[in-house]
Amino acid sequence: MRGGERPNWLGALIAFLWLAVVVVPIYWIVITSLKSQSTYFATNPMLPSPDSNFDQYKFVVESDFPRYFLNSVVVSVGTVVPTVLLAFMAAYAIVRGNGRFLRWANTLFLSGLAIPLQAVVIPVYLIIIRLQLYDTLLAIILPSIAFAIPLSVLVLANFIRDVPKELFESMRMDGASEWATMWQLAFPLTRPALVTVSVYNGLTVWNGFLLPLILTQSPAQRTLPLALWTFQGQYSVNVPAVMASVVLSTLPVVVLYALGRRQLVSGLTAGFSK
Amino acid sequence: MDLKTAGFNTTSRRTFLTAALGAPVLAALVAACGGSGPSRSANSGGGAPGSASYWFLTSQPQEGIRTDAVERFNAANPDQQIAFTTFQNDAYKTKIKTAIGAGEAPTIIYGWGGGTLRSYVDAGQVDDLTPWFDENPAVKDRLFPSAFGPATVDGRIYAMPAETVQPIILYYNKQVFDDVGVEPPQSWGDILDLVPKFNAKGIAPFSLGGQSRWTEMMWLEFLFDRVGGPEVFAAAYNGEENAWSNPAAIDALTKVQDLVKADGFVKGFSSITADSNADQALLYTGKAAMMLHGSWTYAAMSTDGGDFVSTGKLGYTNFPAVEGGKGDPTNTFGNPAMYLSLYSKATDEQKDTAKKFFATGILSDDQIKQWIDIGTVPIVQGTQDMLSSSKDADFLQFVYQLSTTAGNFGQSWDQALSPTGAETLLDNIARLFQLSISPQQFAENMNQVIGK
Amino acid sequence: MTAAPPGVRLRRPASRSVHDNRVAFLAVPALFVFVAFAVVPLLGVFLLSFTQWDGIGPIVPNGLDSWRSVLTDPALPHTVWVTFLLMVVSWAIQTPASLLIGAFLAGRHRYREWLAVLYFIPLLLSTAAIAITYKALLDPNFGLGVGMGIPLLSQDWLGRDALALGVVIFIVSWQFVPFHSLIYQGAIQQIPRSLYEAAQLDGAGRCRKFFAITLPQVRYTIVTSSTLMVIGSLTFFDLVFVLTGGGPGDATRVLALDMYRRGFQANLMGPASVIAVILVLIGLLLALLLRRLGGGTPSHSQLDGA
Repeated sequence: MRGGERPNWLGALIAFLWLAVVVVPIYWIVITSLKSQSTYFATNPMLPSPDSNFDQYKFVVESDFPRYFLNSVVVSVGTVVPTVLLAFMAAYAIVRGNGRFLRWANTLFLSGLAIPLQAVVIPVYLIIIRLQLYDTLLAIILPSIAFAIPLSVLVLANFIRDVPKELFESMRMDGASEWATMWQLAFPLTRPALVTVSVYNGLTVWNGFLLPLILTQSPAQRTLPLALWTFQGQYSVNVPAVMASVVLSTLPVVVLYALGRRQLVSGLTAGFSK
Repeated sequence: MDLKTAGFNTTSRRTFLTAALGAPVLAALVAACGGSGPSRSANSGGGAPGSASYWFLTSQPQEGIRTDAVERFNAANPDQQIAFTTFQNDAYKTKIKTAIGAGEAPTIIYGWGGGTLRSYVDAGQVDDLTPWFDENPAVKDRLFPSAFGPATVDGRIYAMPAETVQPIILYYNKQVFDDVGVEPPQSWGDILDLVPKFNAKGIAPFSLGGQSRWTEMMWLEFLFDRVGGPEVFAAAYNGEENAWSNPAAIDALTKVQDLVKADGFVKGFSSITADSNADQALLYTGKAAMMLHGSWTYAAMSTDGGDFVSTGKLGYTNFPAVEGGKGDPTNTFGNPAMYLSLYSKATDEQKDTAKKFFATGILSDDQIKQWIDIGTVPIVQGTQDMLSSSKDADFLQFVYQLSTTAGNFGQSWDQALSPTGAETLLDNIARLFQLSISPQQFAENMNQVIGK
Repeated sequence: MTAAPPGVRLRRPASRSVHDNRVAFLAVPALFVFVAFAVVPLLGVFLLSFTQWDGIGPIVPNGLDSWRSVLTDPALPHTVWVTFLLMVVSWAIQTPASLLIGAFLAGRHRYREWLAVLYFIPLLLSTAAIAITYKALLDPNFGLGVGMGIPLLSQDWLGRDALALGVVIFIVSWQFVPFHSLIYQGAIQQIPRSLYEAAQLDGAGRCRKFFAITLPQVRYTIVTSSTLMVIGSLTFFDLVFVLTGGGPGDATRVLALDMYRRGFQANLMGPASVIAVILVLIGLLLALLLRRLGGGTPSHSQLDGA
């Protein structure tokens, strides 16, 4: 345990300053979600309105919101799980293997790191249409996996490289196949990187806007970021309603995080010297 | 422990792999397939495959009026159905472009006409409707003639005008004017006189949502027109070389910068966007005295501004004349209408359905009444009686007068120009208002994209 | 394989790669999806950069014209500069902040749990929501500063060049520091206590411990976190688009935004594709650089000597 003797004043100060910075916008989001569009400009933006109500929440829920939420979950999980598995296997191969094919694959992955989504969106659109996948959640999932792979491979490969060679040697001496070694040795030891990659990709896809916009159309396939549309008109944005939908879409995830935080953090720690 | 006995053998490893990868993908497939048929939720609807498709914008109450029109049509025409989907404004603009580019556009293409329509025409993506209008003169004649300008490319009509007319209006807060003891401006000189008077009282002379850029463009449109007449912009639009260096243009550009330098606009205008309605709020909360904005803001101000509109505190007039200017002070700018085009790659059956919809579904009597009820003026001639009996009679009659008696109704520049030109224009306008480029530089930059 | 009798070495020569082809197939699934949905479109974009296309009509090959028009565009250096500035400054702000906060959360405090949950929330908000929120908070007439009566906060935040860029950097940090501090927290909690105890016995204070022990031990985490930050900021688009649209003027026009404007708003798909190719090349370069900096193949674990 670090620094347990003297209270860490500087650390506490910075922490609370940062807390203020984090909390103020969140506070604003909550009180605004309780206002109505007509009183929104009339009241002090930093104070709750005297007649706060849940009208905006009712409005949001009635606009097909649960459906969008479910779609977002399906897309996020459906992207993250395959990405992590595929990227892990590829990273393992690149680190443990040799030969031209793998070196070439590695460089190819690296070149895919900074692909700007807006640029490739039209060719992707064409491919999806030809595959007859337009307006399905799979249309969002497949390209999302493809774009998430390069960075995941990079991060995972860096981590796998760090696993002591002695451990691999001892596995091999015991007669384990590469496949077994991969899942039984490397996979558990790479847990921190796996968690990092999962969270990063999960959040990217959860908030992803462009792919759902281009590759889906009907409201039944919409994801949460598109749901904010309902409140964005040609000329104006119903800010309180947007804030209500933000609260509704974030709350379940916050609860999930609060409950699963211990697991998450312990997943990020792994020791090699067991 | 001996890893070999505990390890995977070949077949179970394949199973594991398939299961691990297949499960989520399968789940997604199932979920995806479940929802891929036509759905009956509030935002989408319509008939069987083979029916015409129609995409339009969200946001109530306009969305409801458009939806009603389609549903009425579908009910009256059981074997000619229209399937519709709604999109948010910016999302729609990206979406329609991708769709057309990939050859998958809807039958009825909703748009703003002008330069974008021209780009569709040049690419052969929309049908020439002139013959159809010739066969159906009744459809054409009942609409405002000025609505057909933006729908016309090289003398042929490529879109059906629809919905309402939206001129740009100079709004003012009557209460603020009374408090300060001044009259609404009748000329540019008046405006410059009013500026220091309002500033002295801590009230911004003009509200402006500058970050949106097209709000700043409105100022230029009017100044160009009042100083040199519509010919100035027309020259640029028609591709004349160095059209932007016309002395009248430079004069107008200089006047705008004069106003900025005199603190004519609310402090921090470059951070305010129009779509948050913050600029309107400045007017109805009395923090600003005047605002140059589109007629659509009237409805928003009525609902959001408390009793501002209902107690008659909102004043409105046309942009005043500029002393010594050549322009006709009755000229106005804005959106003469919204436009519906016919996708050239749709099937004949779909096109017939669409044309029937144009003739019977758009601006039917029912729809006219709906538009008027929400405080807008449909582009149909002869609705004065209905307007005068509506609850926003004064305003609507003002808009009707303005639109129908204007010497020239100019289309918003960013819609009239090609998308390439529009982008450069908005970019330079933002810099002009930031005072980071001079009028001459503006002219030079714009001259580069003439005809592009 | 049976156990070898003692003294007999049956091991094959030690090498990292034993069965190339056996391992190589593992990379195939990832490669397949990647090639199908990312490389093929990327090739399409590369080809598009040699054409002129407005997104609507026919595609017309025009050789190097699009390349020339982009590379000679006087506004390009500025765009690259803004992107670079955004990348570097946001890294410079996020990394120390995440390190400190991660270290703080790794310690033991009563309220740590609550803080950790609250700190994480910005990460869960969608970029559109964040942009709308901040636009409202920073409104010079109806925003935070006015509401709380603090003139200093009622600046023309999004209307002045330097301020706007600063705001974008701040909001990016606000959104992503939770993520990186989580990573650092995990890494720091992994550092064996014995190292600290030993330093304590040697009389090292808190600062010394941080710089001499904590930092070196999380070196590889810094590389990972920095890679994510830098690569992520290269294609950063959503927030800037909604918040400032690249403005005021072009003060916050990053490469990805410039590409979007050229392609989707000015209908110049050729030049837009050129910028896309440039972005990909920069990303590749950065990745190679980071790999070199982070130490290509460490031959020993960081925990040696623990």
